[in-house]
Amino acid sequence: MLTKVFATIAVVITGGLLLYGVSDFPAFGDPHSPANAGVGNEESISQYFITQTYKDTKVPNIVTAVLADYRGYDTMFETVVIFAAGIAIFAILRVTGNEAEKKSIKPPLDSSINGDHQRIIVGTTCRIVIPVVQMFALYVVAHGHHSPGGGFQGGVILGASFILVAMSEDLNAALRRFSEKTYLTLACVGILIYAGFGLMCQFLERNFLDYGILQKVLFTDGPEMARSHSMLGVEVGVAFTVTAIMFAIYANLSSRGVLKNGL
Amino acid sequence: MIDQIPAIIVLAPLFGAMIIGLFGIRDHRVCLPVVFISLLVSLGASVAAAQQVFNVGTINYFVGGWEKPLGIGIHLKIDALNSLVLVVIGVVVMLVSFFSIRRVGERDTEKTPYFYILYLLLCVGLFGITITSDAFNLFVLIEVSSLTSYALIAMGSNKRGTVAAFNYVIMGTVGASFYLLGVGYLYLKTGSLNMDGIHAILMLETNDANVGASKATTVAFIFILVGIWIKMAFFPLYGWLPNAYTYCPSTSSCILAPLMTKVSVYVMIRVMITVFGLDWVFVELGWSQLVVWLAVIAILAGSMLALAQREIKKMLCYLIVAEVGYMVGGAWLADPDHWGMTGALYHILADAMMTLCLFLFAGIVAKRLGAFEISDLQGLFKKMPITSIGLVIGALAMIGVPPTCGFFSKFYLIRGAIEGGHWEFVAALLISSLVNAVLFFRIFEIAYFGNKPAEGHDHSHDHSDDSIEEGKGSDSTVLGREASWSSLFPLLASAAIIILLGVFNGEVVALIRVTFENSNHLSGLFR
Repeated sequence: MLTKVFATIAVVITGGLLLYGVSDFPAFGDPHSPANAGVGNEESISQYFITQTYKDTKVPNIVTAVLADYRGYDTMFETVVIFAAGIAIFAILRVTGNEAEKKSIKPPLDSSINGDHQRIIVGTTCRIVIPVVQMFALYVVAHGHHSPGGGFQGGVILGASFILVAMSEDLNAALRRFSEKTYLTLACVGILIYAGFGLMCQFLERNFLDYGILQKVLFTDGPEMARSHSMLGVEVGVAFTVTAIMFAIYANLSSRGVLKNGL
Repeated sequence: MIDQIPAIIVLAPLFGAMIIGLFGIRDHRVCLPVVFISLLVSLGASVAAAQQVFNVGTINYFVGGWEKPLGIGIHLKIDALNSLVLVVIGVVVMLVSFFSIRRVGERDTEKTPYFYILYLLLCVGLFGITITSDAFNLFVLIEVSSLTSYALIAMGSNKRGTVAAFNYVIMGTVGASFYLLGVGYLYLKTGSLNMDGIHAILMLETNDANVGASKATTVAFIFILVGIWIKMAFFPLYGWLPNAYTYCPSTSSCILAPLMTKVSVYVMIRVMITVFGLDWVFVELGWSQLVVWLAVIAILAGSMLALAQREIKKMLCYLIVAEVGYMVGGAWLADPDHWGMTGALYHILADAMMTLCLFLFAGIVAKRLGAFEISDLQGLFKKMPITSIGLVIGALAMIGVPPTCGFFSKFYLIRGAIEGGHWEFVAALLISSLVNAVLFFRIFEIAYFGNKPAEGHDHSHDHSDDSIEEGKGSDSTVLGREASWSSLFPLLASAAIIILLGVFNGEVVALIRVTFENSNHLSGLFR
């Protein structure tokens, strides 16, 4: 009871503070707000992005350019966050040996009663849907710097397609296609691709993630196209990690870390 | 090479973690060399950076080469404020890696590589938080370090550790969200995420809507502050800490206890100095009095709660709560010559080493006893004399006996408190020292003279069940032999650093005070 009272007080204070702060926010959609127009004589960052992104990077999707190039360092660590979440799940849940025997989920006994009919409907549907989902995922990854999308979104869709395999057949079927070793390796390789692009720039004596210099390696005309291509590269790296970790988290959670006979 | 240092410090552990992920999971022998090499690279780079900072000046590094206008890219900066913190992080993680050797040797499980991946990623997070000069990047790296620390706490076989980790997940997420909300408000008012950029805009006086004085800026500061306070377990918000650090594997507690809270204190000081500026924080907001009183309460409450504990690890956890009070109070003393802030910064370094020393000691003993109480330590001095040296030096530093660093950090804090007129803070520091003296001399007495109490056998038996380490057997034999050198080396090294930090306190403080000398280092950078 007392904790509820305290919690209510904390919530009311927090909400009150938030509202108090909102009272002198710039108006919604105000083109002269600090974030849009800058303060004083400073040119704002958003103005810079809107006017310069295409000149700097030849990437029409400004959001992707900000994410993967201007603030690529943040995005790399966001990928690391996802990777760390996956590793945390392994570290806590994964069990093998005797403990695995105890924890493993037994398949339900009545699966033979009407399981086969369901399997035909669900299996056939998934067989049609999954390739389309995967094609679309690859499109989202590859087209991220031209249209909405990118590594995170594409990776999630691709990961979901493997989860769909696991749900429509069973976990073992999915693991045969995408084994534990494969997804662990893929997760690491994804981040290594991202950080590797950055490291390559350092070897060419520029700062980390300064893609422009990669024109020497990628044989593009001008640093702008090198930036554009490198963004595609790091998006692919992000997609690798996100796909692998999405599926890994599902596989571990659904089978209590045994990786056998999941839901 | 030298201009790439900021990136190298953060990237070396990141690549190390990925190499372990690729090869270490198949062959566990890969783990240790990779951990040592990558952390050694980071430590070496941190030392080189510190040299560069104090001989030449601030190192600015623009990731992706996006330098102008300030704030479009991500800006890493090593200056007088964070270079020493970086070195201390490097030293602590290096020493804890030595301590962790036995994980691979004696108690190798299939989870060892995952442990090291998380361990290295935690180092990435801590180095990254310290080095960045971008308010949002700081949040991302707080996420990296928090996620890995949740997992490191939950990894033990102790069920209570898992529950504690879950509490920590909730509290940590609330803290991080508060920080993010604050940064969002700040971005709305300033349109910048770069710390120097935000500061410059807050300082602009000519603009029509005075950003520095606006309500939203104040709210942003409060949210950022509360978020960081949750992360550092400042007194009323400390609930997650004691259980999380008591019931986690001892290697995890050895790295988390010295570093997580201290790095959060550094973040608070960075936000106060670089983002908002001390003038704004102390003059415009004028909350110095309030926060110092909160710190006084934190110190007293932490000390009293520590006094009530029988389990040593838990007692140390409550001491951390008290020490956080020292640092927050010191940072907010608002004395004209910044001695309080100096003391707080010095105490970040000193407390990291002191906490490391005591937690390493607790880890070594816990290896034998599992969860152990003060009464289990009888005969320690005779049976494990080298381990006891670590305990004695760590304890003397906590009490504040010269020439250990604990004495000098209290000295500077008290100097700041007197100059700032905060006598209540002086009183709290002295009382806390007294309590620490009582606490540790009680341990010394039992460890040196203690006779075996009748119920000793009884309770050591029943908590060997839920203990993290497999301490077994009766207490007359468990303390039997000295710990292995891989555990003793970090303990003695941290003890030596405690004394060295104390002996060379003048030099260290001179380096810290460089921060306050060139306080207008921002103007050159921003246009």
